[in-house]
Amino acid sequence: MTSVRPKLKPETPKTITAWDTASGQVVWMRADGSWSDDPTELGVFTGAAAEDALAKAQTQEGEITDPYFMEVTADGQIAGRETLRESIRANGPTVPYGVII
Amino acid sequence: MYRYDQFDAQIVKERVDQFRGQVARRLSGDILEDEFKPLRLQNGVYLQLHAYMLRVAIPYGQLDSRKMRKLALIARDYDRGYGHMTTRQNIQYNWVALKDIPDVLEHLAEVEMHAIQTSGNCIRNTTSDHFAGATKDEIMDPRPWCEIIRQWSTFHPEFAFLPRKFKIAVTAAEHDRAAIRVHDIGLHMRERDGEVGFEVHVGGGQGRTPHIAAKVADFVPEAELLDYLEAIMRVYNRFGRRDNKYKARIKILVSETGETEFTRLVEEEYAAQRETEKIALPQAEIDRIHAYFAPPAFADKSATSEAFERAKAADPKFANWSEVNLHPHKVPGYTSVTISLKPIAGLAGDATDAQMMVMAHLAETYGFDDIRVTHAQNVVLPHIALDDLYTVYRELDAAGLATANESHITDMIVCPGLDYCNLANARSIPVGQEIQKVFADPAYERDIGKLHINISGCINACGHHHVGHIGILGVDRKGEEFYQISLGGRADEKAAIGDIMGKALASDEVPGAVKTIVDTYRDLRTNPDEKFIDTLERVGHDPFKEAVYNAAD
Repeated sequence: MTSVRPKLKPETPKTITAWDTASGQVVWMRADGSWSDDPTELGVFTGAAAEDALAKAQTQEGEITDPYFMEVTADGQIAGRETLRESIRANGPTVPYGVII
Repeated sequence: MYRYDQFDAQIVKERVDQFRGQVARRLSGDILEDEFKPLRLQNGVYLQLHAYMLRVAIPYGQLDSRKMRKLALIARDYDRGYGHMTTRQNIQYNWVALKDIPDVLEHLAEVEMHAIQTSGNCIRNTTSDHFAGATKDEIMDPRPWCEIIRQWSTFHPEFAFLPRKFKIAVTAAEHDRAAIRVHDIGLHMRERDGEVGFEVHVGGGQGRTPHIAAKVADFVPEAELLDYLEAIMRVYNRFGRRDNKYKARIKILVSETGETEFTRLVEEEYAAQRETEKIALPQAEIDRIHAYFAPPAFADKSATSEAFERAKAADPKFANWSEVNLHPHKVPGYTSVTISLKPIAGLAGDATDAQMMVMAHLAETYGFDDIRVTHAQNVVLPHIALDDLYTVYRELDAAGLATANESHITDMIVCPGLDYCNLANARSIPVGQEIQKVFADPAYERDIGKLHINISGCINACGHHHVGHIGILGVDRKGEEFYQISLGGRADEKAAIGDIMGKALASDEVPGAVKTIVDTYRDLRTNPDEKFIDTLERVGHDPFKEAVYNAAD
C-alpha cells in the first residue's frame, strides 16, 4: 500500500517517477523517455503526452517499479500537494543518518 | 537461546533459495510488481519512499553476539551503515538493494535468522518482556512459550492468509512491559495452585481504531495453550472481515461481535477442538524448549559491589546513568542494563554497524552473550555483574551509547515517519529531536521522572502514539505537517488509549506545547515522586488542555 496519490488535471505539468527495480533507487523520466536518478534531469509532460509517457513507463516494469505522475512546475521543480513527500523522495531523509550523535 | 534443529535450518535455507529465484525472475522482467509484491512481502521486503526496506525477525527480541555481529555486517556491507530497531523488537534496513537481498538472507540464515512473517497477513514476531529471564518481578521466564508460539505459528498453513496481520505478546511479570493489552492476543502468565497458565486478552490494537483487548480467559493451563490460541485464530479466520482492510483486524471482530459472544465462540471452538484434534504438546517437547532458556551460570555474588559503589562516587555521570538505566535482576550482584538508542537530537532506534559491534562485544565479554531489543526501540544487556558495570558503561559511553534516559521524556518511541515511510503523512524524527532538545538538561529530565512520549507519522500508529502518556500524531493538512497531541495513553497493565487534547498544532508549536504540559504537571503534582501519568489521572486532562491552548491564544 502506498499513500494516496492526488489526481492531476491534464494541463498540470507533471513528470513520471518510479523506483529502479534492482536497486530501489528513485528515478524520474527524462524528456526522451529514458530514466534518470537525478531529479534535475526530469522531463515535464502535459496532456496526452503525459498519458503516453505513463503508458510507456508501465510497459517497462521490469526495469522500473510502480510508475506514477508527480506534479512539477513548468521548469521541472517539484510542486503541488505532495511537494514535501516528493522532495524527501528526491533528496533523502531530512535528518542525518548512519552517524553516531 | 533456542538453536535451530535440522528442520529449522532446512526450511530457512529452502526459503532463501526460493526467494533468490523469485528475485531473479523479477529482475529479468518475467514477473512484474503486482505478482512479485506478495512474494517479497512474505520475505519482509517493502518498497518505501527512497528504497527497499528489509525487516528482519528477532524472535521475542533476543540476540547473541554472533547474530548482532551479522546484523552489523549487513548494515555495513549492504546498507548505509545502520539499522533501525522496531516496536516489534525486530530490525529494519532502509536502503538494501533488491538484487542483494537473497545474499543478505543467506547471511542471516548462517546465524539462524530470517525475515519470514515480518510482513503480510500472518502471525508476526511474538514479542515479550525485554527483561524476560532476568527480572525480579516475573513468575517465570516467558521466552520458552514465546518460542513454542513461534514454532507453532511459523508456516502454519491454516493461518498463512488471515484477514489481516496478527500480533501476539507474552509477559510473565506483574508490571507489563510488553504492551500485551494492545495486541491481537496478549498473554499474561499466571500461577494458580502451583500450576502455570495464561490469562488471555484478545482484540487489542492501535492503528486508526484503537482498542484495549478484552480478557477472554482467566487461566488457560500451559498444556492447552496452543489449542486455545488455535481456537481464537479459527474464530478470527472464519468471522474476521475480509471486505474492508480497515475493519479486518481481530479488534473489530471482538468489538462488533461483543466480548461475551466472541468469548462464547472461542470456547465453543476450543471445546470442539479438545474433543477431536487436541494438539497435546508432549511434555518432553515443552521440556526440550525450556532447556534452551536455562539461566546462565551466574557467580555467587554479594548483592552489593564495592567496585560499583566506588565508581559511582567518583563519576557523577555514571551515577546518574546507573540510577536511570538499570533494572533489578533476580540474582544478587547482577543487573539488567538498558542501552538507550535515543541520544539527544539523535536518530531514535537507530544503531550504526560500529555500535552493533560494541554491543556484541560487551554481551559476549560481560553479559553471558545475551542481548535484547526492546519494543521501545532500545537494546538491553540483561545479565551484567555490578562489578563489571563501570567497564561496560565506559565502553558504551565511548560508542555514544550511554544516554541516561530509559523511560524518561527523551526516550521516545518514534516511527520512521515521512523521512522514510511511504504511508506517513508527516515527519516524526525531527519533531522528536526538537522535543528532546527542550528536555536535554539531565537534571530537568530527572526531575520530570518517568514519562512516555510516543510519536507516529500517520494514523497507522507504528509509533504507538495512542498509548503514550503524551501521544503525538502527524497529520497532513493540504500538504502541511500538523500534529495532534493526546494525553493519558498507557501500554502497561492499566492500558488506556489517550484522549486527543484539541486542534492539531504546527510542527514548531509542538515542543513548546509539550513543555507547557510538563510544566503544568510539575505545578500540579503533590510531590516529586508523583509520576506524570498519576497526576494526569488524579486531576484530569482539563488543566493541561487549558494551559496549552490558552498559551497558544
